[in-house]
Amino acid sequence: MKPAGSSLLATGRRGLLLLWVLAAAFPFAWMALISVRSPVDAFAQPPMLLAPVTFDHFYQIWVVDQFWRQAVNSTIVTIGTVSISLSIGCLAAYGLARYRGRLGRWLLMVALVFRAMPHVVLLTAYKPAFFQLGLWNRYETLIVVLVAINQPFTIWMLRSFFVNIPVELDEAALVDGCTRLQAFRRVIMPVMWPGVITAGLFSFLLAYNDYLISSQLMNGDHMTMTAALSNYMNSNDDAVKLLHGIAGAVSVCIPLIFLILFFQRQIVAGLVQGAVKG
Amino acid sequence: MNTRSFLGFAGPSAAAMALLILLPLLGAAWLSVHESYVKTELKEVRTTVPLFGGLTREDVRTIPQPVRDEAGNPVLVWHFVGAGNYANLVDLDRLRKAFAGDGLEQIYRDVVSIEFWGALEFSLLYILATTPGVLLLGFAIALAVDATSKRVRGALIFASLLPFIITPVVGALSIYWLFLDNAVVNAVLQALGFGKFYFLSGALPIRALIVLYGIWHVTPFAFVVLYAGLQTLPQDAMEAAIVDGATTWQRLRYVVVPHLAPLFAFVTLIHVMDAYRVFEPVLVFGSNLYANSLQYMTYHILNSEDNYTKAAAASLLTVAGIVILLIPMLRRFAREGRAA
Repeated sequence: MKPAGSSLLATGRRGLLLLWVLAAAFPFAWMALISVRSPVDAFAQPPMLLAPVTFDHFYQIWVVDQFWRQAVNSTIVTIGTVSISLSIGCLAAYGLARYRGRLGRWLLMVALVFRAMPHVVLLTAYKPAFFQLGLWNRYETLIVVLVAINQPFTIWMLRSFFVNIPVELDEAALVDGCTRLQAFRRVIMPVMWPGVITAGLFSFLLAYNDYLISSQLMNGDHMTMTAALSNYMNSNDDAVKLLHGIAGAVSVCIPLIFLILFFQRQIVAGLVQGAVKG
Repeated sequence: MNTRSFLGFAGPSAAAMALLILLPLLGAAWLSVHESYVKTELKEVRTTVPLFGGLTREDVRTIPQPVRDEAGNPVLVWHFVGAGNYANLVDLDRLRKAFAGDGLEQIYRDVVSIEFWGALEFSLLYILATTPGVLLLGFAIALAVDATSKRVRGALIFASLLPFIITPVVGALSIYWLFLDNAVVNAVLQALGFGKFYFLSGALPIRALIVLYGIWHVTPFAFVVLYAGLQTLPQDAMEAAIVDGATTWQRLRYVVVPHLAPLFAFVTLIHVMDAYRVFEPVLVFGSNLYANSLQYMTYHILNSEDNYTKAAAASLLTVAGIVILLIPMLRRFAREGRAA
């Protein structure tokens, strides 16, 4: 027998889910909807659900404002960050997963504090230092900085994946005459791909989504897409410019939507990973 | 693994963190107790002033001028000021005056009108207001999704991930754009006969919107973690509770919530760490006019005031705050380490 009031509960449940999905997706859906409208239709009173479609704003921002340059910059910076971050992160995380000494725990603890550090703290020191050293406004600088900021999170996450790989596997390889590095490369890495992909996704998100550091270390032709959106902020009085900004914001979203579509399972695994393994 | 090969493996990563996190932190600490000014020197400037009849007079004046290095940049002089920058930031004078005022409410209002204390106030308010919202909403959605049929769960999870995964600046802008004076929310309110509401022109509605954004942005994380926890719920305990005649509410209270307790703690910890450094929504919604946060304040000092040393003092105080927030966690971690 079902407990009384279960139909009421089911209705409430459906209502909640409907409201939540609407709240989660509507801001993006609306942004996408008005990005393909003429300014008159976009801010019509009352709002229109259907209106003539135009790709003017996308043309304006991508071709005339040369947003493609920023897209190229974003690509360079994210690819650089993800590959370096994973390479040195895997090495460190494997070491942390297999080493029993006190040094390893210290490193993890310090990394935890670093992970919580507001990024602007680092920026206060980077700004004068990079300016003095002439490292301003260069891809390498931004990539190396993002890699370092990413490390605490990456090594914690990868370590929890490495811990799940049985020690017997490396021991067998060591007995068979492999060095540590060979065991790591030939035996452990081949079974680590799911963890590497998950950690890679989160490195990607950090580099791609970063606004604070990227907008401060790069300017002009070197700006990333996310940072370049600041050019269109605070232009509420100018409907045309506002719509260019909205078209830019929609462009920034598109790769991320594909990312969620293809890697939903890995993203969820990554979010949960920290919770099950300290 | 022995210490030597551990150092080999962890070396590159540790070096990156030491060079680009630890060293900048020490640099910021150094900056925070110093002050800089452009070095000047008194230079004799001789000018020839024409008098009448072809006569000239040589005019000698001594003018202070910046000293330049070979590259032509002005040379900065650093000098130690101790806690000067910190005192400047927390504004001891105004603080003293505020506490001389009468009535707790007046004192509070005077204190938070100082930039630093105002930023601290809103950062803490943001943590306190968003955390329960994130946990409750995330838990409710996790329960609801867990009870729906498997076919729609994928789509539900996809939609739920959007606010968390999409670039925070873009997410904040997408909410902001909904609430512009002539945008969709106002149009709907007007159509329903509620009239126009200017969301973006007062401290209270803007702060409410920032909190709303915070809940919207982080709820997916709480949902995903708690939903994963629900999948590992011990079935026999649930069945025993049903056999014992426990109501839905009682099962929730005595079986589900205790099982998920560590996950609630985990989500809270991560969220508090992230909420403490809230930046993007303050940038998009508030500027520092209506709402400020510690990280935004430092950014503003660095960018608009161009004051490195004051920004460094603000940074150090922010770090001190995060260390205090993390102490319970770090102590637990150290204890576990000793036990292992």
